[in-house]
Amino acid sequence: MGISVLDKFGLGAPVPVFAAVGAMSLGRAEHLTLDPGVRLVGSPRHAAILLVTGDIGDKALANLRRLHDQLPHPRATVWWSADPASDWDDPIIVTSSERIATVLSSVWRALLSGKRQSEADCLPDAPPNPWRGVGPNGQGGKGMMGGTPYGRPMAMTGEDIRDGLSLDIYSAPFGPFLPSLPHGLVLDMTLQGDVIQRAEVERPPYKQDTLAATPLVALARILRLLELPALAERFVRAAIGEAAGRSADVAALRRAFLRSGALWAIPPGLGRTPDDVDLRDRLELWWAAAAGEPVAAASFAGAAIGDLLRGLEWQEAMLVLNSFDLDALRQACVEAMEQAKSEEAV
Amino acid sequence: MDTLIPIGIVSLLSLVFVLGVERACSRGIAVSNPQMTPFLGGAEPKTHAWQRFHVRYYTMTLLFVAFEMEMMFMYPWAVVYVEEGPKALAEMGMFLAILSIGIVYGWREGIFRWE
Repeated sequence: MGISVLDKFGLGAPVPVFAAVGAMSLGRAEHLTLDPGVRLVGSPRHAAILLVTGDIGDKALANLRRLHDQLPHPRATVWWSADPASDWDDPIIVTSSERIATVLSSVWRALLSGKRQSEADCLPDAPPNPWRGVGPNGQGGKGMMGGTPYGRPMAMTGEDIRDGLSLDIYSAPFGPFLPSLPHGLVLDMTLQGDVIQRAEVERPPYKQDTLAATPLVALARILRLLELPALAERFVRAAIGEAAGRSADVAALRRAFLRSGALWAIPPGLGRTPDDVDLRDRLELWWAAAAGEPVAAASFAGAAIGDLLRGLEWQEAMLVLNSFDLDALRQACVEAMEQAKSEEAV
Repeated sequence: MDTLIPIGIVSLLSLVFVLGVERACSRGIAVSNPQMTPFLGGAEPKTHAWQRFHVRYYTMTLLFVAFEMEMMFMYPWAVVYVEEGPKALAEMGMFLAILSIGIVYGWREGIFRWE
């Protein structure tokens, strides 16, 4: 395969990478966001390289395979301080953090020049259910509705809790590698439009390292959700500097935060827990912690995740989930799963 | 015939351009079934994405249509207003009254409340 004209242009651009972040490795991934030669993208459709970092666990391996197949050709997978799946064909393994950017760009070059073959699909090339040729329109059902077009059943109408207009509900598990959700978290949600009707925890988020838990990085996650990536990068840079012993100018960061208008996107009273702490208050707690004040991290105060998310729009729900301390969120997820299990047993 | 020749040439050139770009971009690999799956962060969707999506601003759009229809009739009305005199004024008054009922109805249903 010859190198095409567009590939030549592509070589000059930063490497588009989709990161599947496992346990104790979010800090490492945050370091990578600062690298000018690497662009971490929000969807596998925009990526050429799937970067797996940290231990993702056996359960997430099936999710990783599905994710891998969603990358367009040519594609490759790089395992960064992670054990590749035993049946993975020709895995690229990197252990040192210094070399990762170089490895990513050399793999990208090899892919574009055709020196490295694009990875084949992990999953079989077949629809999830047989469907072709049945019914008047070949959709697999009997009438106009129903059936399994492209192997998936049609969505049916359901109740709406906000304005009462009952349209089709969309039920699906989301995660564990959805960039807007905390890494590892799998939520089974029912949506009516973009309003969450029901949310259940299927898997808790991964435990993360100390850098990921620092208040500045937590604030950076919120800023990324608000589509302020440049400001988020500044926060991450300050947090990394702080970890290396340089003190961060928190007052200047706070000024930049207020000037960016981020608070306009966060309505007061959003994600209020039983102890009367809302999202804005939780941000204040992060700021106080960043300034070195001894404050307790925001907790759920007994609120169930399902109750907290029900009735929220997608973006609001993502902000609420990311406003909590990662350990507190993990704890609340484990509790929600235990409660669901005990209710099932009854 | 004279007009058809340039049209034919431009069509041919655009066809050559499109096929050329397609050739430059494509890698000759067909899109597989796993690649067509919607991205849910690695999870498998339960239902097909073909569905009636609940757009939350639909009440606003209904209101917009009410106001827009009003403007559509007001332009020709303004042209003939001087000729027709009070009759035109009465007609427009009736029309606006009917539209206002729609707005009052919407108000009662709470469409001015942002949610």
